[in-house]
Amino acid sequence: MLASNRLSFLLTAIVTVCATSSGDVVLSNGNYTWLLAVLTPFFFVFYDFAKLMHLGASKKDSYLGCLISYGVLALGISLVNTLIHLVIDPLYPAQTVINLMDVCRWTENGIFTAALQQMFFLLLVMVFLHVLLSMQTHWYGWLTDVVLVAIVCVFTPIAPLRAILAGFFQVLMRNGNAVLHIGVCLALSAALSLAGLAVLKRKTL
Amino acid sequence: MIELKQVTKQYGQATVLKNITLSIEDPGIYCLLGRNGAGKTTLLKSIAGYQNITSGSIQVDGKAITTSTLDTGVSYIENFAKHFNLPVQKLLRIASEVNPNYDYDFAAEMMDRFELEGKKKFHHLSLGMKTMVSTIICLASSKNVILLDEPVLGFDALMRVEFYDMLTESFRKHPRIILVSTHIIEEIAKTIQKLILIDRGSVRFFDTLQAVETKAFCISGLQKDVEAATKDRNVIGQDVVGGLVTRYIFDNPPEETGSLEIRPLSLQEFFIQMVGHKGGSRR
Repeated sequence: MLASNRLSFLLTAIVTVCATSSGDVVLSNGNYTWLLAVLTPFFFVFYDFAKLMHLGASKKDSYLGCLISYGVLALGISLVNTLIHLVIDPLYPAQTVINLMDVCRWTENGIFTAALQQMFFLLLVMVFLHVLLSMQTHWYGWLTDVVLVAIVCVFTPIAPLRAILAGFFQVLMRNGNAVLHIGVCLALSAALSLAGLAVLKRKTL
Repeated sequence: MIELKQVTKQYGQATVLKNITLSIEDPGIYCLLGRNGAGKTTLLKSIAGYQNITSGSIQVDGKAITTSTLDTGVSYIENFAKHFNLPVQKLLRIASEVNPNYDYDFAAEMMDRFELEGKKKFHHLSLGMKTMVSTIICLASSKNVILLDEPVLGFDALMRVEFYDMLTESFRKHPRIILVSTHIIEEIAKTIQKLILIDRGSVRFFDTLQAVETKAFCISGLQKDVEAATKDRNVIGQDVVGGLVTRYIFDNPPEETGSLEIRPLSLQEFFIQMVGHKGGSRR
């Protein structure tokens, strides 16, 4: 599955290598490695499922394969971004380099823990996208899209609701407490994986 | 064993499968025959658990099959099946990794027989060769139920002959239920044990080919003679040209008389009479 995901790898590599920004504050190229986490579920859900079925894999095996692949990818992306953060970002001494690991306050706990936090967060992103994309062929997928958009639209303008939304994303992303962050990411990934299993049970070929 | 009980499948207002009850118990090669749109693919996909039915139940080896069944024990391959664009050899190897009892030796042997280049990527193969790779993967899976949907599409005459040999060989090595849907009935006749004829979502015939050979006849002659001879018999079709009538029966043949011409129906003729429609209605 990972080998068949060549296009995602290629696009991510091109964007990561070619992306440039100017000014005193620049974005770290490592941030663009996250693109792989966003692209991969599209390929797994829309292209690879049928192909795996045609090879004789069971639905259970294909789903497990996806989850394991997401885990491996999350680890890989996290390692590459951490490496870029450690090796390439310091090459711009005159500029402020923004890496999402700093923005999310993960580096406050040391680089190793930050890499772990990043890994579990990316795993959550991929599982979330996998489940959301798998639902798009059903009415409840569209309903989920509408609900998600409605939450953002309703919660943003109303101050108390905005605080709740901000708090949620603080816990999910901008969280300096590594144990809490990893715990939340793992718990949500597990819950979404179960939801994904329910969606898989309705999936047709 | 495949058991279907009152299986109905509807797409909106259209009923594709109508109350099908069918039991396939013994291992064998079965042919699923029907016109385009008869419901063959829907039936096969439903048995494979790749599609839900509207009502009824499907069981394979005692296990209820729906899209919720995460491991069905059924191997299904559709025509023009897509695969990863990997070298054929690698595809077969991956297939062996995801199928616990995969018969890699059989797959390798078939690759040699059909002169498939192992290093050639799947997308670079001809349509016939792509179908052949899919079929080999499906047959080598060693699952108890194999469903092949229009496997001979894109095959030339020689490949079709080789394909039927491959089916026989695969069945000899692993006796199980192999259900093949096709339009080309005469060619597969030597290979199959039983014929399932489906028309407009209903099973019209499920029996051995011997039953067709011993019971399907064409009786021609003057109208009154033919009508008298076929009275109380199961008439499946009729042609009238002037005063001459030809009736097609699926029953014991009447006694030969000088005024009647009686001959057995070929499989193709039998199929046409069973499912033949003109202008949307039965002949």
